[in-house]
Amino acid sequence: MSRVFKALADPTRRAVLQHLRRRPMTAGELSALFPVSKPTMSAHFAVLREADLIDAHKQGTTITYRLKLSVLEDALLEFAHAFGIGAGAAAQADDNSTHHREGSAS
Amino acid sequence: MIVRQLGYALAFAALILAAAAGLRYGVVSGAVDAESARRIMQVLLGLGLAGYGNFMPKKLGRPRRSPEAEARMQAALRVGGWAMTLAGLAYAGLWALAPLALADTGGTIAVASAAATTLGYALWCFAACRGARNASAQR
Repeated sequence: MSRVFKALADPTRRAVLQHLRRRPMTAGELSALFPVSKPTMSAHFAVLREADLIDAHKQGTTITYRLKLSVLEDALLEFAHAFGIGAGAAAQADDNSTHHREGSAS
Repeated sequence: MIVRQLGYALAFAALILAAAAGLRYGVVSGAVDAESARRIMQVLLGLGLAGYGNFMPKKLGRPRRSPEAEARMQAALRVGGWAMTLAGLAYAGLWALAPLALADTGGTIAVASAAATTLGYALWCFAACRGARNASAQR
């Protein structure tokens, strides 16, 4: 269960699950929706798979992800989304990475 | 995977049988009155239904051919899972707290509505997928 909480604590991972609610999507389609690098997205997918919240199947070179949430996990996702759990930490992480990039550029 | 699911089902069946035997013994020995025994049994069944409904959306099965079929199957499993979980919780809640007549009628209505919703939604998804498959075959 701690893996599920860890997975749901991140706003990007929650957004991935929200997108997968509509339909199964490929890794490329999902990555295109977020302003983060592909390795970062792969890490997010790995955390979600480890928590058994998504299912992946590979066809050729394409990986398609499907939603695999139990009703309780679905309710927890909604709860975390409604209260913005982890959003502050993510915003701080964004700020830190922005400062880091600005520091490196100057 | 199938062995694990079978294991959980057998464990739940064993729990229900043990609870029934225990409650029967309790009623015969006078430790539990007949109404309480009936209520406890129905609450266990309601919680069991809620538990199965909870895991229903996780049973995806093999990937379908078309993305539309996959999306509709996912929607059917989610709707069915939510309906069964809520019905199970309502059933257990009614049998725990409501008067017997209300628990009996209300519980039956809750579970029957959830079953009808699940079946209806699954049939609608099946018909939509079949229609889409026929349309693509005609093209």
